[in-house]
Amino acid sequence: MAEANVSSDATVRLRVDGLAKSYGTGDKAKVVIEDLTFTVNAGEMVCIVGPSGVGKTTLLKCLAGLQPATRGQASIDGRTISGPPPEMALVFQDYNRSLMPWLTVRKNLMLPLRHLRLPAAEAKERCDSALEAVGLSHAEHQYPWQLSGGMQQRVAIARALAYRPEILIMDEPFASVDAQTRFDLEDLCLKIRQDFGMTILVVTHDIDEAVYLSDRVVVLGSKPAKVLKIVDVDLPAPRDQITTRSLPEFARQRTDVLSLIKRPA
Amino acid sequence: MNAQLRQLLVSAGGIVGAILIWQFVATVPMAGGPLPPFSATFTELTQLLASGEFWSSLADTILISLLGLGSAAVIGVVLGILIGSFDPFRYATLAVLEFLKPIPPIVILPLVVLIYGPTTQMAWFLVFFGCVLPIIMQTVAGVHDADPVTLDTARSYGMGRTEVLARVTLPSAMPFIGTAMRVAAPAALVITVVAGLLGGGPGLGRSIYQAQAGGDYPSLYAYVLVLGMLGLIFQGVSRLAERRTLHWHASYREVLPA
Repeated sequence: MAEANVSSDATVRLRVDGLAKSYGTGDKAKVVIEDLTFTVNAGEMVCIVGPSGVGKTTLLKCLAGLQPATRGQASIDGRTISGPPPEMALVFQDYNRSLMPWLTVRKNLMLPLRHLRLPAAEAKERCDSALEAVGLSHAEHQYPWQLSGGMQQRVAIARALAYRPEILIMDEPFASVDAQTRFDLEDLCLKIRQDFGMTILVVTHDIDEAVYLSDRVVVLGSKPAKVLKIVDVDLPAPRDQITTRSLPEFARQRTDVLSLIKRPA
Repeated sequence: MNAQLRQLLVSAGGIVGAILIWQFVATVPMAGGPLPPFSATFTELTQLLASGEFWSSLADTILISLLGLGSAAVIGVVLGILIGSFDPFRYATLAVLEFLKPIPPIVILPLVVLIYGPTTQMAWFLVFFGCVLPIIMQTVAGVHDADPVTLDTARSYGMGRTEVLARVTLPSAMPFIGTAMRVAAPAALVITVVAGLLGGGPGLGRSIYQAQAGGDYPSLYAYVLVLGMLGLIFQGVSRLAERRTLHWHASYREVLPA
């Protein structure tokens, strides 16, 4: 566990440094994020948890280069993020708004690949393997709205995989699916990290999910958002929905995180 | 008997009923008046179908309507996307467009006839003028209706501004554009006829005017019958086209059990 505490610059991929975001200016400014600082190491799975409405989505938009930060910065490998970084892909909570209803599953996957100007064979291979990774090879010619919610979110994940990002960011990715599907998708997430060696940052309000998935949990407090604590999760790998969740260690960790969030700020 | 067949029979009955009423009104209460009976009109129609002049006049009408509609669609959608996406464009054009919107094409007809004469271009321009504004307005509405999450998705994948406009914003606006086109298609036909009837442009409108001027009422109403059928075809084709392009949209989906 010694390594987890040594976050030497060599392994840090994503760094958030004194990041603040407010809307409006002067007296009317609404501060959403006050001052966030944390890092995500290469190959790490980090979850950000916090009460709803704390500004997690705003944070992700800043990380994804969709919105500029008001103060401070986010950087990848030391380069400040000022627009959508090419090595990053985003998975949104609202799969039915993030998938294009006029495109089939396969064409949804192909859409972000167009401007990469890949050879046709490589683009095809990327789609094939991404669809296979999420177990949806059979649905490639269907439209997203013909699929169940869980399948749609798997399409969105496959689209991100086909883009071959080094960093995958997910915004409450499993909040709109049923409990069983949620477990399946969580395990899919762990498998992706394993198979593709991606750095993954997940925003969630589900504490159990955060502890189950993460190497580290960044606990945010409200409002405006600030980091309350960064918790190292030292649960053994490989993780399993039944055995991991029944470990006394799991219960202790989730209690730690929960008490941080429940405590009046 | 299945429901579809029954519906078809009832529709056919409605048409037959309308023809019978026409025949009755023209032969009993208005006998000898300016309204020719259906039978005479129909006989005239069969004679028209044998004349080359009729077919070229029909072809002119279809051509002008489609040219006007097509150019209005291309220019309307492009302008609508620009106006909807870039605020300076919107502020610069909104007042002018809102001002032009309630002006019917017939108002500018004398001016256009002065410029172009009784020509295809004159009719084409009128159709274009009458169709382009609603298409612009609807496209702007469609652009504003594009889902911010969908747009964020496209941007997060590094798609450039033009690519987002073409591949995300435009398809998002398609349902609105489809509605505009469905309304514009019959309007294009009407304006083409008006351009012929009042402006002397080529096509069925001019034929109607000539029949009227010559007091040839059966021929006049035969042209009207043709127009009516042409209108039905325009409506049908635009509906079909809309259904095919927008098959993915919530109002047309055939949802399979997942």
